[in-house]
Amino acid sequence: MRKEYGYGKYDNVITALQFERLLSSFGPTEGKVSRPSDGKKPKSIGWIQCVGSRSEQLGFPYCSRVCCMYATKEASIAKEANPDIDITIYYMDIRAYGKDFQQYYDHAKDLGVKYIRGRPSSVYENPDESITIKYKDTLTGKIEESTVDMLVLSTAIMPNKDNKRLGEALGVDVDENGFFKQDSLLTDPIQSTRDGIFLAGCIQGPKDIPDSVSMASGAAAKAVAPIKDREKHIGKEFPPERDVTNEKPKIGVFVCHCGKNVANYLDVEKVTEDAKKLPNVEYADHMMFVCSEDSCKKIKEMIQEKGLNRIIVAACSPRTHGGLFQDTLMEAGLNKYLFEMANIRNHCSWVHSDDWNAATDKAIKLVSASVAKARHLESLTEEEFSIYPSTLIIGGGVSGMKAALALAKMGIKSIIIEKESKLGGRLRHLHSMFPSDMKSEEIIDPLIKEITKNKLITVMLDSELEDLEGYIGNYKGKIKQKEMKKEIEFGTIIVATGFREIDLKGKYQYGKNKNIVSQTELETKLKNNDLKKPKNVVFINCAGAMDEERPYCCRVGCGVSIKNAKLLSQKFPKAKTYLLYRDMRVFGKEEEEYYSDVLKNYHVITIRYPGDKKPEVVLDKNNPKDGPVTIKVYDDLLKEEMTIPADLVALTVNTEGGAETEKLKNMLKVPVDAAGFFIETHAKIKPLDFSTSGIYMCGAAHYPKNLVDSIAQAEGAASRASIPISQEKMKGEGIVSEVNEDLCRGCGTCESACAYSAIEMKPHPRDPTRLVAEVNRALCKGCGSCAAACLNSAIEQKGYKSKQINVMITALIEQGAAK
Amino acid sequence: MNKISDENVDVNALKLKKGDLVKEVEDLCGENLFGCYQCGTCSAGCPFVEDMDLSPDEVIRYVILDKKEVLNSKTIWLCAACYTCAERCPRDINITKIMEALRQIILRKNIDRTNLTDIPMEEKGSIPQLAFVCLFRKNVG
Ligand SMILES: Cc1cc2nc3c(=O)[nH]c(=O)nc-3n(C[C@H](O)[C@H](O)[C@H](O)COP(=O)(O)OP(=O)(O)OC[C@H]3O[C@@H](n4cnc5c(N)ncnc54)[C@H](O)[C@@H]3O)c2cc1C
Ligand code: SF4
Ligand code: SF4
Ligand code: SF4
Ligand code: SF4
Ligand code: SF4
Repeated sequence: MRKEYGYGKYDNVITALQFERLLSSFGPTEGKVSRPSDGKKPKSIGWIQCVGSRSEQLGFPYCSRVCCMYATKEASIAKEANPDIDITIYYMDIRAYGKDFQQYYDHAKDLGVKYIRGRPSSVYENPDESITIKYKDTLTGKIEESTVDMLVLSTAIMPNKDNKRLGEALGVDVDENGFFKQDSLLTDPIQSTRDGIFLAGCIQGPKDIPDSVSMASGAAAKAVAPIKDREKHIGKEFPPERDVTNEKPKIGVFVCHCGKNVANYLDVEKVTEDAKKLPNVEYADHMMFVCSEDSCKKIKEMIQEKGLNRIIVAACSPRTHGGLFQDTLMEAGLNKYLFEMANIRNHCSWVHSDDWNAATDKAIKLVSASVAKARHLESLTEEEFSIYPSTLIIGGGVSGMKAALALAKMGIKSIIIEKESKLGGRLRHLHSMFPSDMKSEEIIDPLIKEITKNKLITVMLDSELEDLEGYIGNYKGKIKQKEMKKEIEFGTIIVATGFREIDLKGKYQYGKNKNIVSQTELETKLKNNDLKKPKNVVFINCAGAMDEERPYCCRVGCGVSIKNAKLLSQKFPKAKTYLLYRDMRVFGKEEEEYYSDVLKNYHVITIRYPGDKKPEVVLDKNNPKDGPVTIKVYDDLLKEEMTIPADLVALTVNTEGGAETEKLKNMLKVPVDAAGFFIETHAKIKPLDFSTSGIYMCGAAHYPKNLVDSIAQAEGAASRASIPISQEKMKGEGIVSEVNEDLCRGCGTCESACAYSAIEMKPHPRDPTRLVAEVNRALCKGCGSCAAACLNSAIEQKGYKSKQINVMITALIEQGAAK
Repeated sequence: MNKISDENVDVNALKLKKGDLVKEVEDLCGENLFGCYQCGTCSAGCPFVEDMDLSPDEVIRYVILDKKEVLNSKTIWLCAACYTCAERCPRDINITKIMEALRQIILRKNIDRTNLTDIPMEEKGSIPQLAFVCLFRKNVG
């Protein structure tokens, strides 16, 4: 690591990873930000970006891809919790390239996080152990010193030291930086250099969580292919269920010590004894670890011996351990919904760790509430439904095609519908692809060939989805193919509808002069050899991006502009090329290296312009339509206005979701953001799923992205879509909502409350003139929103019926009053 | 705003064609200036930056932009060739060599305004000897 930043020498210089630990409530300071030297809260903190990244000496040539955003995150969290701390981030380019990243960065600035463009030269320690940073603010031109109480270094992400050895052992190639090499970056980023070995996440190069998760799903798809040849996994067999409807409740309570986690902070003995006194409690005991095999065996024995028919475990969280205990019930022949958990660890021993009596008291209350509810628990059934073994893929760009091929390798049929008359998507209009300059037809032609040959893939060109009904496993779609209409069936759906350049509405004089083109138009011209020799070429990045109307970054534009600057310089070596940019966002594998090679080899002049002073394009008065133009740009670094004559202007136009997005959104009942990109269930851990089961997304339909990331997502989406299909049958939730048709007045409030599109208004079975809500048990996730929303209390959520909740509340109040 | 006030060198007399400056500099020092990210590290660490009219990163930018007035900048003569900038540049650009190349462009055209006889005796006494050594070294290249 760079010695001039004092890491290892000065106590108060730490790495960003160390700072994460300071922020963590499980970290050494329990989430309180404090300086290592004296434990005091710092009054000011500085971050230095790109420490060891983007470095041709004493470091690595690549961009580490995640540090701009994690520094922004760390700074925002620290600032939000301690507005009085002064926070500054020193950077060269802020790479806020992903979905919502730019907005997050803007928010950090609003919070008061200061960003200074300048890479510090060195730091020194003062007698009070504060750190002074020497830097040049390249946007004011001033050389400055600034003193902070603590300095955080955003250090480069390094491949594991053992990668070389591991690579050798596996027989796969490792690149010069130590990451694993992919077979082909632009066509098969998940495939390593050896058959049967696949790459996921940062082994291939630095990347963030969503990109790693997508790639991991893709790798999983490749690893299980072809599952058609394998024996199906058969779930555990359980003994037949005992019918308890007519039995009076016999409740067993098992209290857990959780080692010392619970028992050291509250009186488990007393909790157990008090439980024994509650009506219907047949048996109560406390154990060191209720989740241990021995304890579960004991539970089963007690179910048999005492004829227990309701079980309560007072321990940790049902989220992590509920399933395990439910299995135990089923093994003993009880319905798994005859179970309740009282979370006396998180809610008692953890949060009241300093008050033994209060913690014990609360645990007793929670157990008695659980007992009250348990008396009213019922056996619930889970609906089983079949899955139609085929996937519909909407969009036949690279993503759609790659998804279809990945499914086919798993032995799963798919139908690609493409609205144009050819497969290939945007790549049909592009010349070649950064960062390895592969021609776009070299990428799509082999794919199209492979798809046409593959019997498992049906391609429907000139086609659009007109209507959709059904739910996961059982969809019916009407497809309009030119004048024809067809009906098809499928079990899951992948949305791969890509993106398009936005309408600039005349900004930058676009559309008014034939020498002003978008990047796609430029590439098409390059492809068709349809360009006059230019003398001065100006690229303007971020056209229509990161402004009030569209606050987001287009993620691919910087890479595209550099690639095209290179293509033009190669074709017209005499032309001068200017690249006007705001932040240079080249973050992917080999992109930084590509960028710096283009600058060096082709002498491209980069000009950084500020977001509030956009470049201006001035038309020639005498020849506005065809003549040369003049670009006025404010050079943010030299602080001067520059005037550049240009006979070719390429605008890096921001992108948005496809034209049909609105129609699709309504048909699929899925959410779309303001820019027309589809919204995933969870930005980090479920980047490929919609919240509606059975529908997935990939590629630029989710957000603009380069080929590597699109393909990783496509194979990931294929993996997600294959899961229900390979199971053949699926089980729904037992905890679902239920409509009382006689109380329902058909207002539809529940329908709009449901985030999973599980409710539909249908004619009443006995009185078809009247609409009533119908819950689709395959889609319902049991969240309870509809039950809460219904004004007529016509919906009850099974397992959480009003009665069940009310008795819990009563028990809590009575226990409180008894004290 | 013009940061360079001196006009010691008549840049037109150098007969540098459009775009030639960067070529000449690159030929003389073997560095590729276009690899510069304009991060300012070089300038922040330069011991003489306070007295310079252009900071080292600005010198590079001027050359890239073909601003020949860079040849009149004090900076190239104030540079003590200490290599701090070169050592710390993340892009491995040897700024020290670039400064030298810019001096060479002028010196090779035999433009040298220092006239030893113009310096009064008392000043000669106070100027460190090293300064004279440097001065003469610049002449021999
Ligand atoms: C100017 C430019 C240059 C680029 N250069 C590079 C580069 O050099 N390197 C790189 O890695 N990436 C580059 N990219 C990014 C690259 O284009 C994307 O990664 C890629 O196109 C994503 O593929 P996709 O299949 O997700 O979307 P698309 O290529 O947009 O394909 C979507 C397909 O879905 C179809 N479709 C849309 N809606 C429907 C509907 N309702 N029904 C049926 N079909 C529908 C469309 O017609 C299209 O065929 C560039 C992008 C742009 C804009
Ligand atoms: S530019 Fe790249 S290497 Fe530098 S801090 Fe940002 S993400 Fe990290
Ligand atoms: S050109 Fe696109 S990718 Fe680059 S910074 Fe601008 S909006 Fe972001
Ligand atoms: S419980 Fe939740 S998921 Fe189920 S129907 Fe009601 S709102 Fe939808
Ligand atoms: S340190 Fe290197 S990259 Fe940074 S401004 Fe100076 S020469 Fe350019
Ligand atoms: S070599 Fe010259 S420009 Fe570089 S730091 Fe030393 S004095 Fe400054």
